[in-house]
Amino acid sequence: MNGLPRLIVTLTLITVGAGLLLSLVESVTREPIAEQRRLEILRALQTVLPVFDNSPDADTVELVVGQDKKGRDQMRTFFRGRENGTLSGVAFTVIAPDGYSGNIGMMVGVDPRGTVVGLEILTHAETPGLGDKITRNEFKDQFKGKTLEGVDWRVKKDGGDFDQITGATISPRAVVKAVQQGLQFFLDHQAEVLTP
Amino acid sequence: MSLLKEFRKGLWRENAVFRLLLGLCPTLAVTTSAEHGLGMGFATTFVLVGSNIVVSLLRKAIPSKVRIPAFIVIIASFVTVVQLCMEAYFYDLYKALGIFIPLIVVNCVILGRAEAFASKNRLLPAMADGLGMGTGFTLALFVLGAVRELFGSGTLLGFAVFGAGYQPFLLLILPPGAFIAMGLLLAGMNRFDTNRS
Repeated sequence: MNGLPRLIVTLTLITVGAGLLLSLVESVTREPIAEQRRLEILRALQTVLPVFDNSPDADTVELVVGQDKKGRDQMRTFFRGRENGTLSGVAFTVIAPDGYSGNIGMMVGVDPRGTVVGLEILTHAETPGLGDKITRNEFKDQFKGKTLEGVDWRVKKDGGDFDQITGATISPRAVVKAVQQGLQFFLDHQAEVLTP
Repeated sequence: MSLLKEFRKGLWRENAVFRLLLGLCPTLAVTTSAEHGLGMGFATTFVLVGSNIVVSLLRKAIPSKVRIPAFIVIIASFVTVVQLCMEAYFYDLYKALGIFIPLIVVNCVILGRAEAFASKNRLLPAMADGLGMGTGFTLALFVLGAVRELFGSGTLLGFAVFGAGYQPFLLLILPPGAFIAMGLLLAGMNRFDTNRS
């Protein structure tokens, strides 16, 4: 076998072999990968929610938050934590599109009346050493106990109530704004989120 | 021992990063800490050894006209295996290295070794070559990552080295710091070699 047929047969055999290997590896790793992603959400939920004894990742409500560029609905998932069956808090993810470099994804936990219980930064690409201080507890903890009303949702540099970070105002500003909008959305749809 | 020779050449004399200056994209991008450097190094070594073995075994079956696509398919398969395994078992490292895991496919060290060495040599030398080149690559990434982490964040492998009063030299963690640290290390190695000869 020479010439063109040989080229085609060899390449086909190699790609078939590669395909077999990959499907094998994929079937082995599928479960652990799904488990890792679930654990990641659970870890975040544990830090932002008040005490709960259910599985908040199985007790969710999905609401439409807006449309993307193609007109498809964008959904936001609300994870509900319960203690002895009573709702103790709700967690949801918000994305700040105006970070210093790219989106900042975070999870906000609130009690049923809308007071912030915790904030966790999930994904970000802020400058190491400057903007990435938003992941530090000193920054995140100042959101605890804050409500939409009675708090000026701006960084101190802009006249608000939140400490910015020396050398990086853009990242905290983006986080504060996103949390505020998330809270607003939660309060606007409180009934839908809280009904069982 | 010629196998030992094939292994050792990748460590210093033909070190992919510091001597051949190959594969610099992941090298400069992921070495913000020693741990990330090690993770990237191990992933690349696995792909390098795997692709060298398969390319060497198939070297007589692959017609030279289609060798490049064949090599790329083999390399890409190993990279995907690494990516899936890392996501399943080393999730934090997977998230930290991000896009640079799939980009191992285009790391020219790997295609370079497949083309220049594995496709012309028998199984054992090809394995030794892949292992040596990979180890050299890992060492280089570890050293570069360690230097940048040490001075840029004041830690090494996550442990604080300097006291709490140390003001980190941020530039080294940022992209320009990668070039500067790399240049200084290269200069040091050249100096060392000149003095020795």
